[in-house]
Amino acid sequence: MHAHKENHAFEPKIVAFVCTWCTYAGADLAGTARLQYPANTRVVKFPCTGRIDPVFILRAFQKGADGVLVSGCHPGDCHYMAGNFHARRRFAAFRALLDFIGVDLNRLQFSWVSAAEGGKWVEVATELTERVRAMGPMREFRELETEEQWSGAIDTPELQAAYEAIP
Amino acid sequence: MTNTAQTIDPALYAAVTDAIRAEAKKVLEAGAAAAVVGWQAGRRQGTAMPAIITDPAKVAELIFSPACVNNLALYLSKAKKEIRARGRIAIVVKGCDLKALVGLMGENQLKREDLHVIGVVCAGVQRAGAAKDIPLSEETIAGKCRECTVHTPEGADVTVGTLPDLPHFTPVESEELSRLEAMTPAQRWSFWKEHFARCIRCYACRQVCPFCYCEQCLCDRNRPQAVETTPRPAGNMAWHIVRAMHLAGRCAGCAECERVCPMDIPLNLLNRKMAKELKELYGHEAGFEVKEKGPLAQYREDDDQSFIK
Amino acid sequence: MSRIGVFVCHCGENIARTVDVEKVAAEAARLPGVAYATDYKYMCSDPGQNLLKNAVAEHRLDGIVVAACSPRMHEKTFRNAAKSAGLNPFLCEMANIREHCSWVHEDRDEATAKASDIVAMMVARVKKDKRLVPITVPVTKRALVIGGGIAGIQAALDIADAGHQVVLVEREPSIGGHMAQLSETFPTLDCSQCIMTPKMVDAANHPNITLHTYSEIESVDGYIGNFQITVRKKARSVIEEKCTGCGVCSAKCPQKKIPNAFDKNLGTRPAIYVPFPQAVPNTPVIDRANCTWFKTGKCGVCQKVCGPGAIDYEQEDRLIVEPVGAIVVATGFELYSITEKPKGSPIKGYGEFGHGTIPDVIDGLTFERLASASGPTGGKILRPSDGREPKQVVFVQCVGSRAREKGISYCSKICCMYTAKHTMLYKHKVHDGQAYVFFMDARTPGKSYDEFWRRAIEEEEAVYIRGMVSRLYQKGDKIVVMGSDVHVGVQVEIEADLVVLATAVQPRAGADTLAQKLGISYDSYHFYSEAHAKLKPVECATAGIYLAGACQGPKDIPDTVSQASAAAAKVMTLFAKDELEREPIVAKVNEKNCVACLYCKKVCPYGAVEEKEIRDRQGNLIRVVAYVNPGVCGGCGTCQASCPSKSVELDGYTDEQIMAMIEAL
Repeated sequence: MHAHKENHAFEPKIVAFVCTWCTYAGADLAGTARLQYPANTRVVKFPCTGRIDPVFILRAFQKGADGVLVSGCHPGDCHYMAGNFHARRRFAAFRALLDFIGVDLNRLQFSWVSAAEGGKWVEVATELTERVRAMGPMREFRELETEEQWSGAIDTPELQAAYEAIP
Repeated sequence: MTNTAQTIDPALYAAVTDAIRAEAKKVLEAGAAAAVVGWQAGRRQGTAMPAIITDPAKVAELIFSPACVNNLALYLSKAKKEIRARGRIAIVVKGCDLKALVGLMGENQLKREDLHVIGVVCAGVQRAGAAKDIPLSEETIAGKCRECTVHTPEGADVTVGTLPDLPHFTPVESEELSRLEAMTPAQRWSFWKEHFARCIRCYACRQVCPFCYCEQCLCDRNRPQAVETTPRPAGNMAWHIVRAMHLAGRCAGCAECERVCPMDIPLNLLNRKMAKELKELYGHEAGFEVKEKGPLAQYREDDDQSFIK
Repeated sequence: MSRIGVFVCHCGENIARTVDVEKVAAEAARLPGVAYATDYKYMCSDPGQNLLKNAVAEHRLDGIVVAACSPRMHEKTFRNAAKSAGLNPFLCEMANIREHCSWVHEDRDEATAKASDIVAMMVARVKKDKRLVPITVPVTKRALVIGGGIAGIQAALDIADAGHQVVLVEREPSIGGHMAQLSETFPTLDCSQCIMTPKMVDAANHPNITLHTYSEIESVDGYIGNFQITVRKKARSVIEEKCTGCGVCSAKCPQKKIPNAFDKNLGTRPAIYVPFPQAVPNTPVIDRANCTWFKTGKCGVCQKVCGPGAIDYEQEDRLIVEPVGAIVVATGFELYSITEKPKGSPIKGYGEFGHGTIPDVIDGLTFERLASASGPTGGKILRPSDGREPKQVVFVQCVGSRAREKGISYCSKICCMYTAKHTMLYKHKVHDGQAYVFFMDARTPGKSYDEFWRRAIEEEEAVYIRGMVSRLYQKGDKIVVMGSDVHVGVQVEIEADLVVLATAVQPRAGADTLAQKLGISYDSYHFYSEAHAKLKPVECATAGIYLAGACQGPKDIPDTVSQASAAAAKVMTLFAKDELEREPIVAKVNEKNCVACLYCKKVCPYGAVEEKEIRDRQGNLIRVVAYVNPGVCGGCGTCQASCPSKSVELDGYTDEQIMAMIEAL
């Protein structure tokens, strides 16, 4: 029964933002059914995808996530009736923005996973983990975190002279 | 008829100036407005600055010229908010400014009945840093004006001016947008990384934006700190992403943020991109009609979800 | 500095098998702010809970993380334990290291590392947790029932019998609904009117029931325990208090040729009328669209003949505000029509059945009126076209229902049984007649239902043909029914005198509009959605609103009555307490920072956000801010994600709590 475990040089950190009613319960179901998937996901529970602020996704990337998964109830199944509909628009816009900034959208996955879809949860989590593992670490935001840089380069002779003059 | 002269006839601005003065005098004298928010000549030759006129005798100070770049909607949403307490305010707006006013009405910040809107037909304004005393040309016109679709404001209480024939300008902003869209994500990342790295976090972009009227900006909060406040690359990136996201579906495209940026970061490119996306996704466009709900405050059950697994 | 306690559960072997629980506890102990960390075999057991309670006292803990199973499993257990140890229950969090970790990963090192991460995230969160206290809202012990059919009447009677005031609102001039139209009922064949009318009278005479007939819901404000309902009482043109119900006005009304909708237009009625003789209240109404006085300003006969002077042509619609604490929605159903539907409707008509133009092709409810002793034919089965007694009647089932190509895919549930009943009623009244039934399959799950259906075939000699009808057309005075018999594998053609279609059960027209007023959800057919298909079948997702009868889905009378009583029981449960307690996971506005852009109001699925005016002591308006009504707030947090300045915050899921978890990654 034990699958052969591969050793990977890089294990990505995946953060999953999920709603409590559907996807969190779906992930619970995957556990109850003893389905197996990579141990890379860390789940943050929300009442509803409607509560998920794009800032959280951004923050997760900044804090070292290599991939982010956002998952909630299927349209029409929202416990709060319309939270996921609002979230869908918000994420569509945010995704476009991240793409325009230059974030590879392969690192950001959105899904609908119901409380009955333990299998789909496993599929989504596994797929994203494997994809991001193949892509390697999310260097972009991490590099920014470590950069200490004065705004603007010292790119004119005057600035250079002024800089040199600092005792 | 296209204009072959390649410059914009300055006669329009003179005519509009006269009309603004006449209208301002009329509304102030009739008591239809307690103050007129417009532009007046700046201290240096060929410049202009915002003006608030309450005395009908002083309406001659009001002008309209290619230097009238400021979006005066700002003066009703947050700067000089106290003038709204005086009563009904008359405000001079270009097409792009009026879109901002309309947006603010949709966001419950202004009431149409509290305003007397003097719309001006605008052929364009100067780009930042352009020479001041020549007619507007390809050289001196602002990027947003090259592809303006709102030369004539609609729905104002009075609209003054007649649009002259305009030369054909290269739409530099759209071209730049297409150029970026054609890049790979990695190329775009380095493009923006370089631009944002220069940001000094002076927040002039926030200060000048009519829609950044929050009492406390999310980006100034420290419990929790969502966006790092020091002008480091990480915090700068976060600030500009959050700014663009918060303006998505609201931005009226006045491009004041880009004009005031001391580091020349092409901020309107982000705004344009979001406007384009929201138009493609939900058919939303900032316009002259007050909308009860913006594109991100509503939904349709059959909205696109091709990106969701 | 926080003093957090971490309790790592082995769950027997369930967690400990794959997760090194001792290591997780040891690592947790090193986290900043953790004052105590331990592991135990069964945290949820009595000794486990005692361990937790003792540790709270001993180590002066101000926050708890129980690393065990899913919070969906035991959050309540541990929060109660925390509470009994004197800690605010909302300072207790669970780290899910079973369903999300030990059960789904096999590698011990990986699973242990992940478990430690999950614990670290929850420790970071619990440090930002706030003490929350359950919210209490007062309850107005008065119920509104919308719809005066059997569902609404039953619910109203049950609630009223329990001693609570009930406001019963009915759109038509009389209560009774569809059940009042039926002849006999399956599976007992007792007369519908005989069992229905006493209930109607009971409802009308009940001291606790206020009846508003010929009335509609204008608007609904408020929330569970505290609704404000505006009822539009349509102008009846008859003063109810004065009318004695003598019926002289109807008898003398010169305009008598108006098709009677109650009789499915088989009979006629005057312009001033009661829909049927047993109507409750027995107060007539003037049909202004057809009344000569209202059309021409001449006539006025009813006013002249009315002894008590109850006729009032000037009467106007009245708006009545009723404060209530709970709402039962029982708006019932209507039947699908085979006529062509307006463009844009997903429901298609039946061109192959003549789109409703063949007079002797009727629906089941029309047959009920023909069979009813108080119906337009006095209970004789006569054809609408020429009044002859039909000798061959074909019943067609599943017309519209279970027909995806017609726009409806669900089963209407009641047709199998009522068609069987129709064949019996027909046989009882026309002894030499023959009934044929085209059916897909017979669905008879109900007490004595299958026996009833068998009786129709075996004793009453109805011929059941398994197959569909492809076409109906008029040929002379017959209707040719072309269908197939799939058992024999042949095409069948029957020349019928009358065809009865068991058309689909649909929600009432306008069900969607009412749902929007109430803030309840509905499916694509406009049937109202229950909060949970199995465990909350009578509750709506909107608190304080309950469903009864066919407005929620096709239902027969016993099911409808059961559901109505169930809804009534839910209302009584709500009314059993003076105050309502609910989980304090609600949004709150920071009035200092709110600039009233009202994005929150625009996105709130519950309509919980209102505008609030802040005034100075002189009463001058300073500014407007948003206000979240905690009684209405559902706790989804969509407002907070939409608020540009984060001036509205969802308790239990604040930005600080979420950010702390992300930072702890």
